[in-house]
Amino acid sequence: MLKFAFTRLLSAIPTLFIVSVAVFGLIRLIPGDPASLMLGDLADADALAAARKAMGLDQPVPVQFAIWLGNVVQGDLGRSVLNGQPVLDLVWHRFTTSAQMVLIAVGLSVLLAVPLGMAAAWRQNSSLDLAIVAMSTLLLSIPTFWLGLMILLAFGLKLGWLPVLGYVSVADNPISGIIYLVMPVMTLVLHEVGIIVRMARASTLDVLRLDYITHARAKGLSESAVLMRHAARNAFGPTWTLIGLILGNLLGGVAVVETVFTIPGLGRLIVDSIYARDYAVVQGCLLFVALTYLFVNLLVDLLYPLFDPRVTAE
Amino acid sequence: MTFPRTLWRAFISSIAIGLPGLAAANTLTVQITADIRSSQPGINRDAGTDSVMLNVVEGLVAAGEKGEIRPMLAKSWSISPDGRTYTFTLREGVKFHNGETMTADDVVFSLQKLIGHPEFSCKTFFDGSRDAKVESIAASGPDTVVITLDRPDAMLLNYMAQSQCGSTGIVHRASFNDDGSWKAPIATGPFTFGEWKRGEGLTLRKFADYSITGDKPDGYGGRKDVLVDAVKYVVVPDTATAVAGLRSGALDVLPYLPPGEAAKLKDDKAFTVVAAPHGGLVTMLFQTGDPLMSNIAMRRAVIAALDTPQIVDAVTYGLGVPNNSLVASGSFYHTAAQDKGYLHDPAAVPALLKAAGYKGEKINILTNRRSAINYDTAVIAQAMLQSAGINADIEVLEWASQLDRFNSGKYQIMAFNYSNRTDPALAYQTVVGSKAKKANAIWDDQEVSALVNTALQEADPARRQAIFDDLHARFLDQVPLVMLANGLDVGVSGPKVKGYRTWQGFARFWGVERSE
Repeated sequence: MLKFAFTRLLSAIPTLFIVSVAVFGLIRLIPGDPASLMLGDLADADALAAARKAMGLDQPVPVQFAIWLGNVVQGDLGRSVLNGQPVLDLVWHRFTTSAQMVLIAVGLSVLLAVPLGMAAAWRQNSSLDLAIVAMSTLLLSIPTFWLGLMILLAFGLKLGWLPVLGYVSVADNPISGIIYLVMPVMTLVLHEVGIIVRMARASTLDVLRLDYITHARAKGLSESAVLMRHAARNAFGPTWTLIGLILGNLLGGVAVVETVFTIPGLGRLIVDSIYARDYAVVQGCLLFVALTYLFVNLLVDLLYPLFDPRVTAE
Repeated sequence: MTFPRTLWRAFISSIAIGLPGLAAANTLTVQITADIRSSQPGINRDAGTDSVMLNVVEGLVAAGEKGEIRPMLAKSWSISPDGRTYTFTLREGVKFHNGETMTADDVVFSLQKLIGHPEFSCKTFFDGSRDAKVESIAASGPDTVVITLDRPDAMLLNYMAQSQCGSTGIVHRASFNDDGSWKAPIATGPFTFGEWKRGEGLTLRKFADYSITGDKPDGYGGRKDVLVDAVKYVVVPDTATAVAGLRSGALDVLPYLPPGEAAKLKDDKAFTVVAAPHGGLVTMLFQTGDPLMSNIAMRRAVIAALDTPQIVDAVTYGLGVPNNSLVASGSFYHTAAQDKGYLHDPAAVPALLKAAGYKGEKINILTNRRSAINYDTAVIAQAMLQSAGINADIEVLEWASQLDRFNSGKYQIMAFNYSNRTDPALAYQTVVGSKAKKANAIWDDQEVSALVNTALQEADPARRQAIFDDLHARFLDQVPLVMLANGLDVGVSGPKVKGYRTWQGFARFWGVERSE
């Protein structure tokens, strides 16, 4: 297993290099000059030239890349041109904010969606199945920004049960932090449940059609024993992979939900930095997101054998 | 059994008190759409940062309600006959936020530190690259500061009062770390700088020992009575969320609401909508270097086809004030001469187009969606131009891309807003210039450039007025751009707030009350 993990980590290096080249190149291909955005319409040519020089933008792009990469290798992702903060500190702070919300949301989604998906498969074509499939399709179809706003209007404005805006870290104040997270987490859970239910149902249906399940039933085992003891673990494998992808995706930032609920997370940072052409922050964020994605998927692969012993981490 | 809603609300409120996101007693909670960029006035700033920081810092002089220069930390000043030496007499007993009394040495230290800073946003106003160079700043007594220039500069006080220069705010040396790096502002303004949680918001607190001057508020000068304990700024980027926050009582003031959103709240008696033009310019720029738009008859045809008051009325939902002059409608230089505007005359368009040799070529209008006013202006103008027989087309760009095209001069017509210019000479200086030297210059005319330079050097108001009147007549004749209106600030305050008003694009929180 260690050898597998080590090999995967090594193979991540070329991936990260390609990501860094792509991110560095693409952000510079977008029209827009960070210096003129920073100085606005007050800038004259000399001031713009001075600002570009101060940002290192007067160098050829390959030279800029080499300097940036050299710094990254030494753990220095640069500084934000917007507020002068070190990018690494900024990214980490925002990531931990997003992660609080995402980890809770994904955990709750799994707890809700997997049993629902399995129940739907178990009672395929029944009214329960129909109801679960219809609900998951509906949830999947609703855009998160609309869902978020409706939740905010209902629970924040109409009922007044939850604070409409603001944010407190769970680490600073657990009770307040959780109260502030209720609505964004609810939005994410409702959306992700739709996706996971469908996968859990499909993979359970696949497993329930296999011969060993027919054999178990033929032995006279109860349906619950067949489902829980024989079908559940095998059916969870594909869902586990999907959960890994969802987790990696959400940890990379949920800009829409963060914007609606005023949460200063990684997604909002990326969007703001792209609009401001804050190159160092965009590059740092996307590199970090790629790294997170690789790490989460490695973790998923390492844990996969727990659910399906036929697969080994070799 | 159900948990009563009022109890639950009380529970939430009790949790909310003391949290950075929500209001405590006698605290105004205010939306900002983006976090401030730094806490150092004039360094790494934008308009939102200025709006927050100018509640904390004050300069020697300040801009008055109509753009006049008013005393602030200086009680008076004199200018030497050669126009090179400015002598400021400081007010006595002014306290910094750390309790120390301001001295001339503090002022000298602060100004030297700011003007010498490589990232000072107004560096070119003071280093000789644009206007005069500040040769020295010295104390000549405990309450006298002397600034010496290398040549006369009538705009010096105006530059010192500019918001984008941080009002050249005076800060105590304890605002800096031992290594000279910035720590946090210890200034003299009516609010002290409190906690700042990056990305979330910040708090300003009432400065109990604030040295009040003047008898009434006057722009950034005058009397500043603080009637609340604190002002909490919360970063709320989404307008719908901010409006929900205002309706729920979580926010007291939304200082910068798009006019369309504010219009929806206008008839609701619980809210007070305040709207006022500032010195920014809402325009449609012509690229006078373009083969088609370089023809003055073509530009006049476009002007004749546009009903500019109707455009302003539509894009601002009736909240804006049409103004076809580069002299701001709120400026004391805006006289009857400046009220003369464009003539909407669709009947004259065909003859003008014929004179221009126009053969139905497509004319591209660049715009963006960041500013609803720019976008709506482009859409309405396109319809008006098309109905007058001009083949207008719209291209929507993301703001940074449009700014790139503005700076490179690559456009035919562009819906564009300039930021706040408090003095008319600065507004003219923004658009006038040689296209060969400055690609984003709009009005390339040597006589006009000379007049603008004269206005920049002229201190006498009557003579300045004559120059601005002359410039306006030339502006209407040459039509280098379409001036629609001054920038519009629309703010909304909640039912518990009294006295909130908007001025020149800034949210000032002295004179504002919050009742429980």
